[in-house]
Amino acid sequence: MKKLLEFSGIDPERLVLKWVSSAEGPRFAKVVTEFVEKIRQVGPSPLRPKKFSGEELTEKAS
Amino acid sequence: MIEQVKKHVKSLISTGKIAGFLGLRNDEGVVTPFLFQQPEDVDAALSLGDLDVPGAARYPMAKLAMRLLQNSQDDSIYGVLVRGCDERALNELKRWNQLGTTDRLIKVGVACPEELAKDHQCRKPFPDEFVAGEKVSPQPNDVVTEILAKDLDSRLAYWLGEFNRCIKCYGCRDICPVCFCNVCTLGDDTLVRTGDLPPENPMFHLTRAVHMAGRCIDCNLCTEACPADIPLRTLYKRVAEIIADEFGYVTGEPGEGKSPLNILGPEPGHTSAND
Ligand code: SF4
Ligand code: SF4
Repeated sequence: MKKLLEFSGIDPERLVLKWVSSAEGPRFAKVVTEFVEKIRQVGPSPLRPKKFSGEELTEKAS
Repeated sequence: MIEQVKKHVKSLISTGKIAGFLGLRNDEGVVTPFLFQQPEDVDAALSLGDLDVPGAARYPMAKLAMRLLQNSQDDSIYGVLVRGCDERALNELKRWNQLGTTDRLIKVGVACPEELAKDHQCRKPFPDEFVAGEKVSPQPNDVVTEILAKDLDSRLAYWLGEFNRCIKCYGCRDICPVCFCNVCTLGDDTLVRTGDLPPENPMFHLTRAVHMAGRCIDCNLCTEACPADIPLRTLYKRVAEIIADEFGYVTGEPGEGKSPLNILGPEPGHTSAND
């Protein structure tokens, strides 16, 4: 999966796959916290619809 | 070339070795798949799909043969016309348990001329055995390397631009010889949002790419069929490379072993599930 994302131009760091059993609450919390931290560093997804500022919108309309 | 094929097929039919021959029929210039049961029909209309250029009309013969076997009421033996790609597809379908347990197909092979092999940058333009044509060498395809040479942003821009033209006709899926599922993820609203054009970009195409992992036999039919000229096969080619690197599995080879993504549970010797 990561390699396919990479080929398509999406940072493979944005995907994490880990096996966590239902008996491993603390581990689950750790895995999720770490991933959230990582995603914060990587920043917003390039696939997120762009939000234009008011000025840009007027520019586009003209 | 066609005369050799006709002769061979007629003898299979008249000696009763096969109940019918799944080939192509030329009906006043229109080529479609057809189940030949009479030697006269073979003489009159059997075609290899060569029109203005060799192999101008190709169909997923392996998938059609699979449906023929699944729908036949008895356990008759059928003949089927195969090029190199059709044979790879049959081998792959067998590994995915789609052709039943007994061997009910007699392959009638043709080797493709160089022009056709070049057109499709074919990795093996001939079946293991063939009754007509001559072996020409496999043709290289460098598109994957070209894309890998770009940086991440340019790759994304490239693919989003290509996928953006998709009109969601499902042609790529329907023509694919190894797309055989009864229920398709691409039509399930909870998995890939339906109703939008272009379909969810890039999810629609990446989803299909994942499903082609360990399956796509690189026949180029999808790219050829796509009305929007999206280079789909390039994407699946990369997927095939990944599967070969990770699992050592090459699609379309003869044999019994299952494709890695058709195995539930851990694959012996593969330890990178967490990566
Ligand atoms: S054949 Fe082309 S346009 Fe049609 S669904 Fe597939 S990618 Fe989209
Ligand atoms: S090249 Fe396209 S049509 Fe052929 S097997 Fe691969 S995905 Fe299917």
